[in-house]
Amino acid sequence: MEQYLTQPLSLQTFIIFFASAVALLLLVLGFVTYAIYFERKVIGWMQARIGPNRVGPLGLLQTVADVLKLLLKEDTIPKKADKPLFLIAPIIAFVPSFAVLAVIPFTDKLHFADLGVGLLYYLAISSISTIGVLVGGWASNNKYALIGGMRSAAQMISYEIPLVMSVIGVILITGSLNLIDIVERQREIGMWFIIPQFLGFIIFLIASISELNRTPFDLPEAESELVAGYHVEYSGFRFAFYMLAEYVYVFAMSALTTVLFLGGWLPPFEFLSFIPGIVWFILKFSAVVFFLFWVRATMPRIRVDQLMSLGWKVLLPLALVNIFITAVVKEFIA
Amino acid sequence: MLGFAKGLAYTFKQMTQPKVTTRYPDEEIEMPDRFRGIQHFDPEKCIVCNQCARICPTDCIQLTGKPHPDPDKKGKVINTYDINFEICILCDLCTEVCPTEAIVMTNNFELATYSRDELFKDMNWLNENNTNVRKENSKNLQGGKKK
Repeated sequence: MEQYLTQPLSLQTFIIFFASAVALLLLVLGFVTYAIYFERKVIGWMQARIGPNRVGPLGLLQTVADVLKLLLKEDTIPKKADKPLFLIAPIIAFVPSFAVLAVIPFTDKLHFADLGVGLLYYLAISSISTIGVLVGGWASNNKYALIGGMRSAAQMISYEIPLVMSVIGVILITGSLNLIDIVERQREIGMWFIIPQFLGFIIFLIASISELNRTPFDLPEAESELVAGYHVEYSGFRFAFYMLAEYVYVFAMSALTTVLFLGGWLPPFEFLSFIPGIVWFILKFSAVVFFLFWVRATMPRIRVDQLMSLGWKVLLPLALVNIFITAVVKEFIA
Repeated sequence: MLGFAKGLAYTFKQMTQPKVTTRYPDEEIEMPDRFRGIQHFDPEKCIVCNQCARICPTDCIQLTGKPHPDPDKKGKVINTYDINFEICILCDLCTEVCPTEAIVMTNNFELATYSRDELFKDMNWLNENNTNVRKENSKNLQGGKKK
């Protein structure tokens, strides 16, 4: 990929870029399809149920059927809705979720853009999705949607701060915002950042679940409280776009967790390095995704006041302490 | 924090536990005896006493009799016997009141149809509904007072 990125843009390079983006999109869509299936299965098993098993062998086509149903549905737009905003909101929510994937390195060879500020790019672009959610809630002209959108904006902004603060420890140790450099640094110091940055890892994990709007932090959607939160007025493929954005973020955030704290494509022990890096990446990535589902099956939703005090009074000070300790250790020991 | 880990451990263990759900449409569900399912009707036993039609709280049973074909015998035999399952509440009163066990409950319960007309069941259908007949039936026959 790199040699193409440095060349001037010609028709040939454009086709290559386009084809690789489409390939990644298809890969991500495949992931989303089976992440939803797997999520329902795992939650089913944890609740002493079987999970989807009717459509196709073992229910493997369940998500396909669900998506087909969504695409066949009427695309309703409320009469009093702010029409242009209503139409564009799902796109604002989805596009950043796919754009952040550009900087995720899957292995040292297999990656797209190799930005010097990859991590900053990820964090900056991903916060645009909040606007899509807020705009969707506002444009629906529905009080439940608006409450959902407001909650979502408040939550995502509150948790973005500890999320960013928690990765500063990693950045301090690496001395770079480049995601490939971060993994290479983990190879150099011989351990994954989950060990020296354990506190940062915990904060990152909690804040990322909150950023993903997943249980126990799914207040913006809150099936049982807000009908469906900000996308209550959406149906058909616009609703599918919101769902897609959510699951693409699961993909992106799990990949980012893997890269930042679990050593990306590095094997856990040196003698296992004959197994290709992509296998290690997929294994760690799947473990993170499984953890998200596992937490969802375990935890009830927290209250909105608990949510804010957890973010501002617990995670943020802890993240600051983590930065301080990391800086002191780096200055005096390393 | 410890409670959180405990909860995670619990849900993880649950993954391999036996499932509590049944495979109902694929496998039949065995209902307990005393279940009030669709009635089975035996025209041989019926003496056309009309008690079931009279006790029925929703008036869903219609029956007609005819004179016994053997002129030497007294009484009637059943001619038509219909239950309208649109309004039948499966209350078990008809089977409780029946002095000859001509109408009994079964453990069958699948009544869903595409048309309401199909819920109008006649004597033949009720006679053929002879699977899973309930073992424990009306106490009327006990003590050998009747029949």
